[in-house]
Amino acid sequence: MIGEYVTFQLDKCTGCAHCVKACPTRAIRIRSLKAVHHPDLCIGCGECLRVCPEGVIQSNVESRFPLDPDKTNAAIISPVLYSQFPDTMPCDVLRAVKEMGFDHVVDLSFHLEMFQFAVEGFIAQNRETRQAPFPLISPICPVVIRLIALKHPTLLDNILPIRRPAVMIADDVRKKLQSIHNITASEIEIFHITPCPSKALSQEMVLKDEIGSVDRTIGINAVYPELCKHVENIREMELDIYDTDPFANIPNARGPMWSKSGGEINPLRDEGMLSVSGLQEIRRCLEKIEMGVFDEMNYIELRVCPQGCLGGPLTAVDRHMAKQTVQKLVRTFGVNRRLPPYKLQRLYDRGWFFANIRPSDLTGYYPDQRQALTIDQMQEIENLLSLLPGIDCAVCGAPDCRTFAEDVVRGRARRSDCFRLREIDNGKEGDT
Amino acid sequence: MAALKKSFQLKSRDFMHAGEASISVQNMLKQIGIEPALIRRVAICAYEGEMNAVTHGENGNFRIEVNTDKIILDISDEGPGIEDIEKAMEKGFSTATEEYREMGFGAGMGLPNMETNSDRMDIESEKGQGTRVVMRFSLSPGSRKNET
Ligand SMILES: Nc1ncnc2c1ncn2[C@@H]1O[C@H](COP(=O)(O)OP(=O)(O)OP(=O)(O)O)[C@@H](O)[C@H]1O
Ligand code: SF4
Ligand code: SF4
Ligand SMILES: [Mg+2]
Repeated sequence: MIGEYVTFQLDKCTGCAHCVKACPTRAIRIRSLKAVHHPDLCIGCGECLRVCPEGVIQSNVESRFPLDPDKTNAAIISPVLYSQFPDTMPCDVLRAVKEMGFDHVVDLSFHLEMFQFAVEGFIAQNRETRQAPFPLISPICPVVIRLIALKHPTLLDNILPIRRPAVMIADDVRKKLQSIHNITASEIEIFHITPCPSKALSQEMVLKDEIGSVDRTIGINAVYPELCKHVENIREMELDIYDTDPFANIPNARGPMWSKSGGEINPLRDEGMLSVSGLQEIRRCLEKIEMGVFDEMNYIELRVCPQGCLGGPLTAVDRHMAKQTVQKLVRTFGVNRRLPPYKLQRLYDRGWFFANIRPSDLTGYYPDQRQALTIDQMQEIENLLSLLPGIDCAVCGAPDCRTFAEDVVRGRARRSDCFRLREIDNGKEGDT
Repeated sequence: MAALKKSFQLKSRDFMHAGEASISVQNMLKQIGIEPALIRRVAICAYEGEMNAVTHGENGNFRIEVNTDKIILDISDEGPGIEDIEKAMEKGFSTATEEYREMGFGAGMGLPNMETNSDRMDIESEKGQGTRVVMRFSLSPGSRKNET
């Protein structure tokens, strides 16, 4: 069973159906003028909360975060956070987070570089034999992974079986903290500050072996107001290059670059790579991968959010502004490689990068809740469709006419929910 | 016997929309619970067939029929036809122009891929008359290509 990524506060719901139309997996309907959510189909993309005009829908990523003073609190920072503060050095953003009361703030740059090393290594190892199914699909965006599990299960094998950087780092940090402070794992609380509603349930992140890697997730938009104040103060201070936190290793622009579409593959030297962002584009791209259109490609970066993670629903500033900030950071700080390849190679050979569980094990993760239709039912849907207005008005409570027809055939909606069918059916009664 | 039929008109050289018929076929097969590996084979054939009709043919027509025991893809067009079918079937043979090659077509792999991914493929074509490619996929388990 999948946990829930979003919560609906129905007292405020007006039944406007904006969310119904926005949901890519058609997991929402309107019934009796209120939204009805089907969590078993939800992939946590957050499209619904972007469009709701009444603020009914909340991400289950936390917005309040009282820190437990008895614990060692560490915050892993999504690189998107740097894009939210124009003209601010990434290390100052990290300091500002620390001012909020965290004992440690953790930057991802090195782990991004490690991940990228592993991508190149995996491709080099499998390119000739084409043993692994190509094109490989990036494992980074959890929403994409869930979309694949739900709609394109044959592509699960194409997902690169390398652990995501945030997961590698969470495990690393927990071990390091235990030895530095001489404490037990349970005395540590690891936070992830993120733009991404799909991280709502850290214990159910993407692959099962990620369970427990992060304890709590917080939305960037939740910390933003307080952070702004700290950033302001720090900007007023004298330049201080001697940071004290061992985890806040001076970030370069690899992180900020990563947060925008293409940033995962751009630092790599491989011609056979593509990057795609935005839900519609991704859905099209997955269909094409399934039809063999991209068989010659090596690797495809897919991010469900428009322009990449910096367009995530839980960000605080306009995504075009954020992109601008990223470009400046890239110009100023660069994305140099800083880790010795031979050491990375040693880790790779030891299997350190690999997830214990193959993504294909996710097949059982979304036991398709909807029973397959029979051929007769499918024909019935086509017949019904020819009667429907075809304008996808959503007044019936379904996102489009086809889905409504399917709901009727499955016994989940009544013909009379559609104004046109109501007219037709009433007309018939009149005749007899 | 239950049968599901659908057809699509294809517009020649409309590369913005080329592939849409195959996508809706893919989605339809998913809804009726066809085994994913088979869907993938049908999808590859549908796409290559659709692309051939769009690139090489005129007034393409794309039909799919799903019965309880088989799926039939029937793609026809009124284009120039194929002069030498045997030759066209060879891996790497293509008459695609430079312009199409730049768009990523013209590897000469379409027909060979359709052949390998379908259980049976029949081509009828006459020069100047058009082309019709019919592909069949067996739905009963155990009746795969090599056994029939
Ligand atoms: N519907 C058609 N009408 C006319 N000629 C066709 C048709 N389908 C295929 N052909 C001919 O057969 C050749 C081989 O087709 P095939 O699909 O194998 O390769 P291609 O379409 O040229 O390239 P690719 O499919 O790899 O992009 C084509 O180049 C063309 O000359
Ligand atoms: S989070 Fe995405 S998948 Fe889930 S209900 Fe909202 S729009 Fe649908
Ligand atoms: S694109 Fe990034 S922020 Fe958006 S859902 Fe995917 S991982 Fe999360
Ligand atoms: Mg072709």
